[in-house]
Parts: sequence; C-alpha cells; structure tokens
Amino acid sequence: MDEQTTLLEQIMAYDFALYDLQLFLNTHPSDTNALRDYKMALEQSENLRRQYQNRYGPLTARYLPNTTCWQWINDPWPWNNKEV
Amino acid sequence: MWLYDKKTQYPIKITKPDPRMAIAILTQYGGPNGELAASLRYLSQRFSMPTKEAKATLNDIGTEELAHLEMIGTMVHQLMDKVPPKELERLHVDTNFVIHGRAVYPSDSNGVPFTAAYIESMEDPIANLNEDLAAEQKARATYEYLLSIADDPDVKDPLRFLREREVVHYQRFGETLRIVQETMNSKKYF
Repeated sequence: MDEQTTLLEQIMAYDFALYDLQLFLNTHPSDTNALRDYKMALEQSENLRRQYQNRYGPLTARYLPNTTCWQWINDPWPWNNKEV
Repeated sequence: MWLYDKKTQYPIKITKPDPRMAIAILTQYGGPNGELAASLRYLSQRFSMPTKEAKATLNDIGTEELAHLEMIGTMVHQLMDKVPPKELERLHVDTNFVIHGRAVYPSDSNGVPFTAAYIESMEDPIANLNEDLAAEQKARATYEYLLSIADDPDVKDPLRFLREREVVHYQRFGETLRIVQETMNSKKYF
C-alpha cells in the first residue's frame, strides 16, 4: 500500500472511532471515559488530517492550499479504484 | 446541513469485477432494507423526537447511513465497472444493463425502484423507535444473506463492517427507546 493510502486509512480509522464514540455519547452523555477517548482520537485525527492535506490535497473543500488552482476537483474520488 | 469528506467510511478496493454480486448488493442501495431507506427514515423521524438524546441519535445515525449508501454505491460501481455487455448477458444481468447501463440506480436487486413506502415517519416516537429497531435487524439479516453468497475477501470485508454497524445502531436505538419511555413516564404523558 502506498504512503498516501496508508495515511488516509489511518485518518479513516480515527474518524470511525470518533463517529462510533459520538453515537455512544449521544445516549451516555456523562461517560467521562468515552469523552476522554473522544478527545484523544480527535487530536490524532486532526493532526493526521493536517499532514495528509499538506501532502496530497483537500479532504474537504474548506482546506485551501496555497496554489492558484482549485484542487478540490482532483481525482481520486472515494468511489474510484486507485488502479483505474 | 452537511459537509462532504472526500473518503468512504471504511476502505473499499474491489479489483475483481462480479456483476452478479453487484446486483445482489444493489438491494442495500435502493431496496426495502437498504441504506437510502434507513437514512430517510431516521432523518425524517428526527423532527418529532422529544428528547435531546433521541434527536442526536436519529440525526447522527441517519447521517452515518448516508455514508453507508456511499459505500454500497462504491461497491456496486466497482463490481460492474467496465464489464463488457456480452459478459453481462452471459451472467444474466443484461436486463439491468439495457435500462441503466452500468450506472448505480436506487432499486432493489429485482429492479424495483426505490419508494418512500418502505419507511414510516409518525409523530409518535415510540412507534418510530420500534420501527427503527426492526429496520436495523432486517438490514443485519440482509447483510448476512449477502455474506453467505459472497466469495471475494475485498467484498466480504466491507459487508462485515456494515453488518456490524447494524448491530451497534440497534443497541443505540434500544438505549434511546428506554430514555424516551422514561422521560414520557415521568411527565405522565398518558
């Protein structure tokens, strides 16, 4: 697996953990352990996301790299097979 | 509102086309127990949810179902992509091909188009949440049927992830139902 895919899959793993914790916290809003885990995963996700976007371009349209060209439209989109 | 993140919720990298499996999986796109029905059901029902926990749960599970819809669409697309028409005919998926080509269209595996008749949205939160619990079990069963006919690990892996999410959502809806019932009892609704 190439470096870009490895980094993206790390972000996906943290973001999934965050979403699962979000659903748990919705019905357990006073669970301090879950809240601590959420904070930890959020820091990791934000850090990796920053690295990814600096190297490979935007994951959201709100990330604006210092270029003259709009990069949001660049391939690959999530449904594209990388090899194709 | 929603902001788009340029990634699927779980990795999907299917390299071996399998048009018959694509059509089987298609029911989770636009079929009765599919992700589109799930998302519309929860996102519509959330407007009449009475507690903050229930509003958040319906909102956020409804949102996750949209990410699952994208995963299913991605799988159908990658399983069908570039397969020659004659090969589709040989595999008996040519009836779908002559209507939609190799596009992703919200129907079930028999080609029956998506309909909002698959879902209900009532003002009564107890009725809604019991429907939601049943919906998660029906989706879990569908993923188990799909897993029982799938061979490719690249197909089975995301299907297992989606099956597991149905179990987690069922758990969260159960907790939400209990919270809503306790709130309604304490306020002497009846």
